[in-house]
Amino acid sequence: MTRVAYVLTAAWQGFSRNPVMSLASTLTVALMLLLTAFFVVTDRGLQSAVALLESKVELVTYLSDEAKISQILDLKARIEKDPAVARVDYVSKEEALRRLREITAERADLGPIEEIGTNPLPASLEIKLASAQESGRVAEELRAEIGNGVITEVVDNPQVVDQLLTITRVLRISSLAVLAMMLFVALFVIVNTIRIAVHARRDEIEIMQLVGATDRLVAAPFVLEGMLVGVFGAAVALAVLGAASGPVTSALVRFFEILPVSLGPDLMAQLAAGVLSFAVLMGAGGAAISVRTQLAK
Amino acid sequence: MITLEDVSKRYPNGTYALRDIDLHVDAGEFVFVVGSSGAGKSTLNRLLIREELPTSGHVIVDSQDVVRLPRGRVPHLRRKVGIVFQDFKLLQSKTVYENVAFALIVTGHDGRSVREETERALALVGLTQRRHHFPRELAGGEQQRTAIARALVMRPKILVADEPTGNLDPVTTWEIIKLLISVNELGTTLMIATHNSEIVNALRRRVVHLDHGRIVRDQREGMYAA
Repeated sequence: MTRVAYVLTAAWQGFSRNPVMSLASTLTVALMLLLTAFFVVTDRGLQSAVALLESKVELVTYLSDEAKISQILDLKARIEKDPAVARVDYVSKEEALRRLREITAERADLGPIEEIGTNPLPASLEIKLASAQESGRVAEELRAEIGNGVITEVVDNPQVVDQLLTITRVLRISSLAVLAMMLFVALFVIVNTIRIAVHARRDEIEIMQLVGATDRLVAAPFVLEGMLVGVFGAAVALAVLGAASGPVTSALVRFFEILPVSLGPDLMAQLAAGVLSFAVLMGAGGAAISVRTQLAK
Repeated sequence: MITLEDVSKRYPNGTYALRDIDLHVDAGEFVFVVGSSGAGKSTLNRLLIREELPTSGHVIVDSQDVVRLPRGRVPHLRRKVGIVFQDFKLLQSKTVYENVAFALIVTGHDGRSVREETERALALVGLTQRRHHFPRELAGGEQQRTAIARALVMRPKILVADEPTGNLDPVTTWEIIKLLISVNELGTTLMIATHNSEIVNALRRRVVHLDHGRIVRDQREGMYAA
């Protein structure tokens, strides 16, 4: 019990006797955690956006009027076999015309289409994809068949998805890079804070080692001090997050509009737990590195 | 209790701190280690608590080969070997009592045994009345007695003293020596590294004389100089 009391007292003294360094490391940790949280939330939002857009990705293959029904069925079956394809729907010339009528009925400015005597619309296959990343490949394969008497044109619209995927990828990579740098800075500051604490208590450490205290006990107050830095840093970060979560959530919801992004209590609780444990681990880790290198001297 | 077999300590720059040392000290012995500065006295002490490792040879303390001791066992060795320095090494922010109790606290003793053992050690060195004073409020002799109490509170089998009276006046020196004699009479093996020829000559105990890292004389009831 006396040992525990010693460790607790020594850790608190280490933290409070050097307020400038302790504050600096606490705020660095807090800033890093805030950035992490921000990236996590943004990434969630973008992931939802990608998922939503992916579910809407379609390829349309327009068919020649001369194509035989057996050829069309054959093509449909071949496309359906592709694992990247979710389903294929046949849209006949009549169906296409019916859809056009529906649209023009709502839009008076287009005028009546009954004036056209024949049906100029081609039949088509509408292809829903299971994975948006594959849309380019599937479209290329179908384009290769243009001119064989069945397919006349392939229309794909994967650009939005491509762009969104690129944004997500760039954001992920850059946020990982920024986080890695921040992690390095935070660790550096913690290591130095603890180094100063170790230096301030070097006489005590020398005597502890001389009278036969274990390395673990010598290190314990410093590791605890590092964890304190983590806990306080997390507290600051979570306080800021808590204060900002309302406005930020509504701003994000507005930004992603109809996206099913939920920043509800679940995500916030996960985020808080993650932030806290990450901070404590980082504090303990940084302190352990610092003490280990210095006790080895 | 202490055996050194063919021990040499060579520093990376090629100089020898100790060379071909063979030494055996029985339990309960009182040994003076003498020699000029740089003769190897402090290195010898540091080998006993494994603050340093020899370049070659064996150091055996209380039947344990110190050289082969795993790092995790070093604290247990140090609990058996008390050490006292010329500069006392007291914590200035702690009182006499706290300095002595500190050794017990950081080696995992419970609250009751910390209190009892600290009081016992303070009584042994005659500092019970001064227990609430800080080191800066004490005379040199009292500071050294605090340091001795901190070593004794662990009930060590061996007490190693590195120039324990180097900073003290002649009267205080004798007080400390008398205290060390009584510690030895209670059964603790004592090794005192010293420059003080007056004490060595007056006590006529075993003298181990080091010169340039070698033992040049090992004499029962010896004098400071041959």
